[in-house]
Amino acid sequence: MTNDFMLLFPVILVSLGAIGLMLAATSRCVQIEQAAWACGGLFGFAFLVQLAATLTGDQALYSSLFNDILVVSPFSKAASLVILGCGLFTVCSSLSYFKKNNFSSTEYYSLLLFAASGMLLLTMTRELISTFIALEIMSLAIYILVGYDRDNVLSTEAVMKYLILGAFAGAFLTMGSAFVYGAAGSTKFALIGNFVATTGFLSNPAILAGSFFILVAFLFKAAAFPFHAWVLDVYDGASMPITGFMATALKTAIFAVFANFLLADSGLQQGWVTFLFYIAILSMFMGNFIAIGQNSLKRMLAASGIVHSGYLLIGLVALGSQPVPGSVVAFYLAAYAAGTLGIFSALSYLSGKGEQWKNFDDFKGLAKTKPYTAFAISIFLLSMAGIPPTAGFMGKLYIILAAIQTGQITLAVLGIVSSIVAMWYYLRLIVTMYFHAPERSFAEECPSRIGTVSTLVLVLCVFAISLYPIAL
Amino acid sequence: MIHDYLVLSVILFCLGVVGVFARRNFFTVFMSVELMLNASNLAFIAFARLQQNMDGHVLALLIMAVAAAEAALALAVVILLHKQTGKLDTNVFSLLKG
Repeated sequence: MTNDFMLLFPVILVSLGAIGLMLAATSRCVQIEQAAWACGGLFGFAFLVQLAATLTGDQALYSSLFNDILVVSPFSKAASLVILGCGLFTVCSSLSYFKKNNFSSTEYYSLLLFAASGMLLLTMTRELISTFIALEIMSLAIYILVGYDRDNVLSTEAVMKYLILGAFAGAFLTMGSAFVYGAAGSTKFALIGNFVATTGFLSNPAILAGSFFILVAFLFKAAAFPFHAWVLDVYDGASMPITGFMATALKTAIFAVFANFLLADSGLQQGWVTFLFYIAILSMFMGNFIAIGQNSLKRMLAASGIVHSGYLLIGLVALGSQPVPGSVVAFYLAAYAAGTLGIFSALSYLSGKGEQWKNFDDFKGLAKTKPYTAFAISIFLLSMAGIPPTAGFMGKLYIILAAIQTGQITLAVLGIVSSIVAMWYYLRLIVTMYFHAPERSFAEECPSRIGTVSTLVLVLCVFAISLYPIAL
Repeated sequence: MIHDYLVLSVILFCLGVVGVFARRNFFTVFMSVELMLNASNLAFIAFARLQQNMDGHVLALLIMAVAAAEAALALAVVILLHKQTGKLDTNVFSLLKG
């Protein structure tokens, strides 16, 4: 009982904080600024608790909670840590973003906590219906956050598209769960794994169809190749801090539950390896292709998120070879999160009122007037492109090594080719910032102290994460 | 017997998928999504009968609760869309191009 409580403590903390803030929002006495600090403090505290839990015991004595519905593993702990970190930095960038834009309220921060609690549950869940419920807790909060600027037609359009397509994917997940339940008689991953191990994967059409539907839902939420079209529009319509939060924390949660589902049984994972192989390749190259054509920085980052989903899918294809299951995926997620959050944290104070500056051309000559910010953005871009000694490079290296160890040489080679293609659009911004004469003064965007500090901390994170060793 | 229920459930699900892609009114599109969710509820109940346990019934109830929450949000978005553009036709919204 105490053990369960300790393992669940970060989730309890975040969800109670969310409810508390939502109640506090009804009384006028709570300032928005106070709510932001409370939310940031909760994320920070939960992060420290999770960090302590991660460092002290690798394997808890009783790691399963609620009759095996939730399982705490080293992988889920690492993913939760990434999510809580993302939450903390999103609060920081929201604080600097709302210095220029004023559509925030206390509920905004409460919804961030609600979304994070859904994500934390998603990393731990080992049961299909709790997966659906955790996914919806997360998604419903994110839908509202995407459309938070109610006077902006763009964000209304974004929330409409996201809501319809997200609910569509949710329906696929429930239908898939129904089929898997029909075949295996249970929705728990462990029992489904047992069933697949004894009867074989291909012999049962219900398992095949059900797991295909579930995979479709996950690929949709992760914005992988055939289901990637929504991501550009939704990211473009959402506000900068929320885009950063969606690109990092949401992706972490989805890939955590995706990996847990595939880990249920090696037969299940092997059955889908070929499918994931092609999805990974197409995601990487389709994402690169879209990103090269973009003029808006936000859309470019959204498209590059599709490419990173492709890399993470390589990690899922190579799940079998990792001694700690999912360690490579968790490392890549952390490395990607640091870079992406960093660039969105910088953009939150650079984009100005109503996000009027978000194209490549708007950042011409930024290095002349704001050398430190330009330098930080360059570090983040180089990390995302995978240049040593940044975290992004180590993440790609581990993913490609894991692919080679599983014998997926083609995938490893195509991964490297794709990262070379990706240089084109990452370096384009660096060239724009450093080798063009400034067209505007950048005088308006005086970064708030919190924005500068969080950007600096994220630069340090980019290097610190790259030093963390993982076993291959 | 159970076979018939499953066929019905799959038909409903396919109708929902067609509705999402073919219809242009936000209300109809969202109703199609709800139809898909209810198709999976029917499949859950039928499979619960097949498996001789009550899990499926409980899961169907949980899905209904989530679907209700989603519907509440969708109606809020409908009001927002109507206030801004006066129309609920999804074709009107093409400011963002993928």
